Amino acid sequence: MIPTIGHASVLLGLGLTAYAVVAFVLSARARDDRLLVSARRAVYGSFAAAAIGCAAMMISLLTHDFSVLYVAENNATTTPPFISVISLWAALEGSILFWALLATGWASLVLWRDRDRHRALIPWAGATLAAINLFFFAVMIWPGNPFALTAPVASEGSGPNALLQNHPFMALHPPLLYLGYTGLAIPFAFGVAALVTRRFDEEWLRTVRRWTLVPWIFLTLGIVAGAWWSYEVLGWGGYWAWDPVENAALLPWLTATGFVHSAMVAERRGGLKIWTAALVIATFVLTLVGTFLTRSGIVASVHSFTQSAIGPWFLAAIVLALGGALSLLVWRLPVLVGGGRPSATVSRESAFLFNNVLFLGLTFAVLFGTLLPLLVASTSGDTISVGAPWFNTVTVPIFVALLFLMGIGPALPWGAASWSTVSRRFTVPLFAAVIVALAALLLGLREPISLGTLGLAIFVGGVMLDEVVRGARARAGATDEAPPTAAWRLATRNRRRYGGYTVHLGVLVMAVAVAVSSGLAVDRTVTLSPGESAEIGGYEVTHDRLVVERLASDPRVIESRAEVTYRGAQSGTLGTALRDYPNSQAAIATPAVRTSLGEDLYVTLLAFDQASGEVTLHLFVNPLVVWIWIGGAIVGIGAGFAAWPERRARAAPITERAARPAAAPVEGL
Amino acid sequence: MSRLRWLIVPVVVLPLLWLFVSGFGRDPRAVASPLIGRAAPEWSLTTLDGGTLTSDDLAGTPYVVNFWASWCIPACVDEHPVLADAHDRHGDGLTIVGVLYQDDPTSASAFLDRYGDAGYSHVTDPGGRLAIEFGVTGPPETFFVDADGIVRAKQFGPLSAELMETRLASILPAARR
Repeated sequence: MIPTIGHASVLLGLGLTAYAVVAFVLSARARDDRLLVSARRAVYGSFAAAAIGCAAMMISLLTHDFSVLYVAENNATTTPPFISVISLWAALEGSILFWALLATGWASLVLWRDRDRHRALIPWAGATLAAINLFFFAVMIWPGNPFALTAPVASEGSGPNALLQNHPFMALHPPLLYLGYTGLAIPFAFGVAALVTRRFDEEWLRTVRRWTLVPWIFLTLGIVAGAWWSYEVLGWGGYWAWDPVENAALLPWLTATGFVHSAMVAERRGGLKIWTAALVIATFVLTLVGTFLTRSGIVASVHSFTQSAIGPWFLAAIVLALGGALSLLVWRLPVLVGGGRPSATVSRESAFLFNNVLFLGLTFAVLFGTLLPLLVASTSGDTISVGAPWFNTVTVPIFVALLFLMGIGPALPWGAASWSTVSRRFTVPLFAAVIVALAALLLGLREPISLGTLGLAIFVGGVMLDEVVRGARARAGATDEAPPTAAWRLATRNRRRYGGYTVHLGVLVMAVAVAVSSGLAVDRTVTLSPGESAEIGGYEVTHDRLVVERLASDPRVIESRAEVTYRGAQSGTLGTALRDYPNSQAAIATPAVRTSLGEDLYVTLLAFDQASGEVTLHLFVNPLVVWIWIGGAIVGIGAGFAAWPERRARAAPITERAARPAAAPVEGL
Repeated sequence: MSRLRWLIVPVVVLPLLWLFVSGFGRDPRAVASPLIGRAAPEWSLTTLDGGTLTSDDLAGTPYVVNFWASWCIPACVDEHPVLADAHDRHGDGLTIVGVLYQDDPTSASAFLDRYGDAGYSHVTDPGGRLAIEFGVTGPPETFFVDADGIVRAKQFGPLSAELMETRLASILPAARR
């Protein structure tokens, strides 16, 4: 019964989205508002259909209904309820169902919020979004049916993927990432709409920027949560391995970040239309490529759970989206050319443009490294892998250059910068940076890249702090407000600017944490009998005993756990384990991480001998790692602040313009 | 503006299409077995009905070593009839041995009761020693050994009827095919 309802709701979703596509296109042609309203309602309806589908799947999982193939493959009678619920995204078919929920949700949200705006754009944007959702519903009807039944019905299923069961972060990381991925269809849809209607105006740009920023926040948090998850679960002491699927999430993030920046220049001085449209298209196509790489199984990755029949479908979608959007762009090329005012070499505009060149360079480098194994396999048949050293060598210099631009860009004036402005703003931060870098050198940081990054971060932070303080002082002087009040008011009246600063601050925190943790981390592998100890980075780690037992929460899982006492900057006991899941080929490591603001003690069990109780442990002391996650949170908060709707949304552009003359005297201080 | 600008579209789309299409059908995790062309590992293991079976017992006839588990759904269920069919058709000319991969004999017997026991032997592999010697990464994986005890082929993932024929061709004498 429940699976039938689920399948019926998918069919309903298919019908509603198909109708929405047609009705949106007709409403654009006929300029018929009733048709537009009905198309919009069909999209709301498809969201409800996807929600019913997801609910049906969750009920099937919670009741262990093994007549559904997906449940039989991803659930067992012993699976705890929480894991059952998140198993919705444990494998391919369920992920697509969940994906459809988020995609129709975003489409409904944007159509509802902008119901009285953008009359010319909405039909085409709506048609594009509905067409994308139509694709996901079609996948669920044909190659990836989540409600496919199986007979005879097994009395026990094989249980969820072991990696998914092992950490509560699996409840967080995929939804955040999917929210980012699916949301980035919105700027694409508006891009298509603008190309069709030739409306590349300021209003379009503002709308698209906001609808990029919101999914961008989720994508950012999803990537950071994924890094955190891999740090806590995979047991190799690191958080980023340049795995194809990590890259798949990073690629659209890079182009979307590039877009958020170039949109500001486009808004300020016009022009850049081709560039803007290309970035929007690239971002969406890269989300599809990412999904394709993850789900088709054509590249090896920890994420490629299945090889499936949906590969060709996704490929068709990529070709259609890329080919279609690119054709539109080429078609409209004559009306997109020109329109911008030229900018001086040293100015905020040119800093933004350099920034875009660098983001594009990063995108190409990461894309090339990700696809190279595939390219080599297709041409010569050899198997190669492009590893972290290659990616680090290629990307770290670009990241460092971006960091530098991040510091000087926002402090440079629009138009043209004079030498005196430049020297006045940058001298003190530069000195501070050199002093801190020298101090770090004396304290033992030897890696040139780490030292450079730290110094740069101080420089950038100094420039930013100076900006904020000067702004707040100027406002306090002009309005008689207390400086903190003045700073807050200034920020809430210039959300984009100060939200942007906060994002940059978060990036700085992350950059310092990455540089220091990769430069100063220590690790060693030790084999200890019960009662023996080892030293690592100021800690004494003692192996107390080896325990082998079945998990209380799921008796099919056998846990072999080393119980360890540690003394040092942090003290206490921990258990680090290997877990044998019946449906997993290899034992899954369950590392123990003891986090403090200064450093993490990270202990992984590599091997054990049950007879003697001897264990082999990999010990790490990783400084400042927690600041990577804190930095990620700051980025999210800053971007949220920037994207937060102004109190009177319609008056927003006026407020912003009014703020500019007020800020002008600041320039001269 | 020149009509040549339309060339951008195929120039961007076609290489990407070619790259991805050529990636289909290749399994990036299917590592060729270093055992191919070499003597199969030797073993002596307990069968599900309590007897002992050794690799020496099989010497002189081609044999198939199939690593499987009752929890390996649906792959092991899918290939089960293919193995049974091969066993029926080739009779004494081919021995098939099922090796339990991280599975307990009770569940395995229940699996055979449910999906049909074709009559060939299944052995338990305590500690997964044989699986390690064969370099198995996960069930189902199947190795094809010829009459001289040399591993000739490996199947990564479930066997279909066609795959079974192709793989068997490498170990069966031409007359028997």
